Amino acid sequence: MENLSHMFAAVADIGMSARIFTVFWACFLGIVIGMIPGLTATLGVALMTTLTLSMEAEQAILILICMYVGAIYGGSRSAILLNIPGTPANAATSLEGFPLALKGQAGRAMAVATTGSFLGTTVGMLALAILAPWLAEFALDFGSFEFFWLAVFGVVLCGQLTAMEDGLKGWIAGFIGLLVAMVGQESMNGFARFSYGDPNLAGGLGLLPILVGAFGCAEVFSVMRAAALERIANDTRGVLVASVQAFRHSVTWLRSGLIGTFMGVVPGVGEDMGAWVSYAAAKRLSRNPEEYGKGSVEGLLAAETGNSAAVPGALIPVLTLAIPGSAPAAVLLAAMIIHGIRPGPLIMYQQPEFFYSIVAMVFWASVGILVLGLLLTRPLLLILKVRREWLLGVIFTLCVVGAFAISSRIFEVQLMIIFGLIGFMMREMGFPVAPLVLGVVLGPILDSNFRRSLALTQGDFSMFFTRPISAILALLVVVILLAGLLPTRRIFNRLRQMLRGAP
Amino acid sequence: MNTAPKTIRTIDALAGVFTVSLGAAALTEAIRMPRFAERGVDPYTTPGVTPGMIAIALIIFGFLLTIRALRGGSTGAGVTIHVWTRDAVLRIGLTLTIALTYGGFLFGNVPFIPATIAFVFAFTMALELVNADRKVSVPVLLGGAVLLALAAGFGIDFIFREVFLVRLPG
Repeated sequence: MENLSHMFAAVADIGMSARIFTVFWACFLGIVIGMIPGLTATLGVALMTTLTLSMEAEQAILILICMYVGAIYGGSRSAILLNIPGTPANAATSLEGFPLALKGQAGRAMAVATTGSFLGTTVGMLALAILAPWLAEFALDFGSFEFFWLAVFGVVLCGQLTAMEDGLKGWIAGFIGLLVAMVGQESMNGFARFSYGDPNLAGGLGLLPILVGAFGCAEVFSVMRAAALERIANDTRGVLVASVQAFRHSVTWLRSGLIGTFMGVVPGVGEDMGAWVSYAAAKRLSRNPEEYGKGSVEGLLAAETGNSAAVPGALIPVLTLAIPGSAPAAVLLAAMIIHGIRPGPLIMYQQPEFFYSIVAMVFWASVGILVLGLLLTRPLLLILKVRREWLLGVIFTLCVVGAFAISSRIFEVQLMIIFGLIGFMMREMGFPVAPLVLGVVLGPILDSNFRRSLALTQGDFSMFFTRPISAILALLVVVILLAGLLPTRRIFNRLRQMLRGAP
Repeated sequence: MNTAPKTIRTIDALAGVFTVSLGAAALTEAIRMPRFAERGVDPYTTPGVTPGMIAIALIIFGFLLTIRALRGGSTGAGVTIHVWTRDAVLRIGLTLTIALTYGGFLFGNVPFIPATIAFVFAFTMALELVNADRKVSVPVLLGGAVLLALAAGFGIDFIFREVFLVRLPG
């Protein structure tokens, strides 16, 4: 009851103050960033983090959450109108949205996507409000052994799921991220690792310049390498009617909302998988699977509900375990720490008001995208007409200034550019960037908990495998590694043949 | 196991060798890190323990990637470096040259506003001039690029100095 009152108070606090204007402009900015192909939610949140450093904590986090929710939703616009997902999370949206646009029903498609995003964020928000306190309570039993395995599990799973059928490359990216996190002074003995007397390196490599480089700068390079986009004209009428109709697919949006939330909770996986898994489930369970790929409203609704539900889902491990559920959530985590907020199992005891403020922020962000998405359909289309040659120079400038703004050091700019080049080369060579960033985030957690555990057991590794939660996490890591390394499909096919009595 | 084209196999093999080398270098450094035995530090909390473990994992993963590539197996998913067209090479070459000149040299050494105006103007002009689908004439492009560069230089400077209270170089 007390929790509910905290939540309603937080919702009313934002809704009845000048912060409501912040909600709308930050959501609008997020939608604009999300709908421009190549600019992702991570880039938007990372850039905005550097710009909101001087603000009060709640105001800054409100802006970042609205930017995050808005960008994930905004990507559906270019997915529908250009067949180019504005963010990777909207790839499944283009499969159904673009065929609808080709039939002249872009307005309907955008309305369905808007409603799906609103419903997905709402389902995820409810899950956040209900699950996070429970998970925080559960995580109070975690010791250093469990946190060590959680960090390994996050990197390995993220590597497996983001590496386009090639887990090995994802794991390499994740472990390079962990190695990057080892640079600088360690906490136990004060020794500066991999620093070679350089005071900049001894201070450690900052997460924000790495994020702005790997996601922002690298995206500028990747977009400029790709061929130019084709644009199509379209009919944007009937938006409100289509939005109301989308509510009627209650089973689809409820299921997709829950799937998306779950995918968001899994460390490092995030919105892309939320959309794909929701879309695949909707297709498999649909009464009209033949419509999929030809402009299925149900499929479009599932994809958009799934990716948006993953946003509040990704905040659940951020707030309760200090482990990000997605790449933009990693930036949010960093921003919270910079603003003096300490996410983790104790947040429900130390800062319960802040936790419910986050829930309220997600609620208002979902309202923001619904209102802006339905009312500004035509004006938002103009943004898609801006050419990349005119836009990306300004975006690169913002990356440079954003990296500099963190601590007014040229070193941060150099670091951003180096990770921009690394991120660009990784993409070109088929290595995912998300595990690298997650590795950088989880590196300190892995390091301190690994050494603390070893010190507690005097080098006895058995405790890593005998404590119940540790054992489960260790088993999951082993299963993921084996599934990725062994030719499992071939083994299963052979077993099936054996069972059927074939030679 | 899918059989990948030779170019992708070569790229994967090179990436694998790089990963093994990185892991080996990190392992060497981790072993060389001090153990602080004279301070009575617990040997399991010495600085090299975690980097050493990560380095060993990288060596194993890199070795597996190299072996897989040499055996001809790879999914090849997402590898695009081998499909760069002449236009793509030109665009990325120009982008990198102009962006790195700005971020790596001009920013911090030249006052912010002139450096940014020069960068945005050069970026827009150069990449539009090599754009085969360009829809505007050169005089219009020139005027537009000048306006954009001035707006970016003065606008970003104003927003960061006055709104976000960040002191920019110069």
